[in-house]
Amino acid sequence: MSWPDWIVLALTLLGMIAYGLYKGRTSRDLDGYFLSNRMVPWYMVLLGIMGTQASAVTFLSAPGQAYTDGMRFVQYYFGLPLAMIVLCVSFVPVFRRLKIYTAYEYLEQRFDLRTRALTSGLFLLQRGLSTGISIAAPSIILSSLLGWNIFWANIIMGGLLIIYTVTGGAKAVAYTQQLQMIIIFGGMTVAGFMVIHRLPAGVGLSDVLHIGGKAGKLNIITTGIRPGGGGFDWNDRYNLFSGIIGGFFLALSYFGTDQSQVGRYLTARSLTESRLGLLLNGLVKVPMQFLILLLGVLVFAFYQFNREPVFFNQSQLDLLAHSKYKDSLVWLTHQYETTETSRLAAAPSIAANAATPADRSRAAARLLAAEQQKTGYKATVRRWLDDKEVGGDSNDTNYIFLRFVTDYLPIGLVGLLIAVIVLAAWGSIAATLNSLSSCTIVDFHRRFSRRPMSTEKEYQLSRLYTLLWGVFCIAMAQLAYNIGNSLIEAVNVLGSMFYGVILGIFLVAFYRKKTGGKAVFISAVVVEAAVIFFTVLSRQGIVKLSFLWFNVVGAVGVVLFSELLQLFMKRKTV
Amino acid sequence: MDQEPGEKVPLFKKWSRWYVLVAGFLLLNILLFYFLTKHFS
Repeated sequence: MSWPDWIVLALTLLGMIAYGLYKGRTSRDLDGYFLSNRMVPWYMVLLGIMGTQASAVTFLSAPGQAYTDGMRFVQYYFGLPLAMIVLCVSFVPVFRRLKIYTAYEYLEQRFDLRTRALTSGLFLLQRGLSTGISIAAPSIILSSLLGWNIFWANIIMGGLLIIYTVTGGAKAVAYTQQLQMIIIFGGMTVAGFMVIHRLPAGVGLSDVLHIGGKAGKLNIITTGIRPGGGGFDWNDRYNLFSGIIGGFFLALSYFGTDQSQVGRYLTARSLTESRLGLLLNGLVKVPMQFLILLLGVLVFAFYQFNREPVFFNQSQLDLLAHSKYKDSLVWLTHQYETTETSRLAAAPSIAANAATPADRSRAAARLLAAEQQKTGYKATVRRWLDDKEVGGDSNDTNYIFLRFVTDYLPIGLVGLLIAVIVLAAWGSIAATLNSLSSCTIVDFHRRFSRRPMSTEKEYQLSRLYTLLWGVFCIAMAQLAYNIGNSLIEAVNVLGSMFYGVILGIFLVAFYRKKTGGKAVFISAVVVEAAVIFFTVLSRQGIVKLSFLWFNVVGAVGVVLFSELLQLFMKRKTV
Repeated sequence: MDQEPGEKVPLFKKWSRWYVLVAGFLLLNILLFYFLTKHFS
């Protein structure tokens, strides 16, 4: 990275910390520290919700996902708008009326203390572990691509934000998320325009869509039904049905029961502004994700006219260059480069001669035929990296967008887009640290403390817990680095192991008024054990079920099992 | 299901209209994406 990029990056990050410290001044009590004195307007609630959900991986991974697998990933978000409606009808009015700090406080009022402690404990366990991984995943990508030391990458990604999060609490989080989202949207828009700008003369957005379509990248809607009447593929992650049903349960659980999100809309000035923020999130999320994925298709089209690396993660090619495959790699690289040279010689003339839609379609098909020749070389590199003796990472999806940025975007813009990735991580992690601290103090420390605490003591302890959780997450990130590959998948799988059960407890609380605390507590423990067991079976390939469905299994399992238990308990009492 | 006492709904008279808007916009998105998938595949 050049020094102007370093300056842009440093100024953006330091500016954000200063802004957080300046805006984060609030009253020295729990209301001020965790709820911004309930004074946040709807548009900041909206940006806060979006900033908490969109992590660094969202912006690194999604364009790469579209590049390799097409745009069908957008279906993952189809359940979200419907979940926003259910939240506004059932969850938010109750949370607001009870004037609670954490979602889990409601469970004590509805059931009992142990159900509250269990649910809050599950949240702390899942969020504490996954936040460490969320810091590590983008840090590994940046350190591989830019040669950063992993320790300092983790500190930049998850450490610096602690300064304003500890000092200013929810208010600092809300104000910085607002600014972060503006910078992120700006940066991604400029990146999109730059890709189009760098396409050959005569190639426009319509051609990009044709190229992407021919290559199967515009597979936005898929049904998950196997061709030839083979039935529904339950292991298929992203399709219309898993997106609407599985995505609905996941979004309902995440936005309705995860304190990092609940804490955002509880800061709103009124119930109306909480609802408005959530509903607008339901309106903009799907188109926003569509545009981020479209950026991946743009990059794919760009590489039809430009030299594409045989593998986007250079550090893994370096690994192969020092392995038993080093001579084969030299030969393969030469063959690949020859194919690329001949393909690139033909590409501009094909584009220039494409006068009609039919011509464009034919031109796109010819380019893609050449693309297929390269696939064999790429597959070979992946096979070598999968060799246990090499121990490499054969998945370069998350490196595609950032590699394009560092290779092709002008000086200064590279620094800005690296800042976008770091800020996306900050927005998400800051909200999480705030929520981990609020649950620790409200659901455990204060609840189980025998001596009453002064307002000042609570405030100081809240800051201390935020700091401690920050240090814990950084330490987890350092450990996660040693775990190695598939960190992003680990976050998703970890979330799905707990979200369903937590949602099930809340669904019973809201909709099954006759079910008591004992029945729901036992059901939650049993179903959670079952979900963990099924996750292990799924990881070993014994059960073929995509992780999104675990949210459904967990939620429905708790509702049904608690209902049965309640019936049984009633009979025993009679 | 709808308004709390004294709550003023922005733009519409009832929250239920907001819910229809959000669900309808999702449906519109799905239809648009379906058209794009069919047209460019």
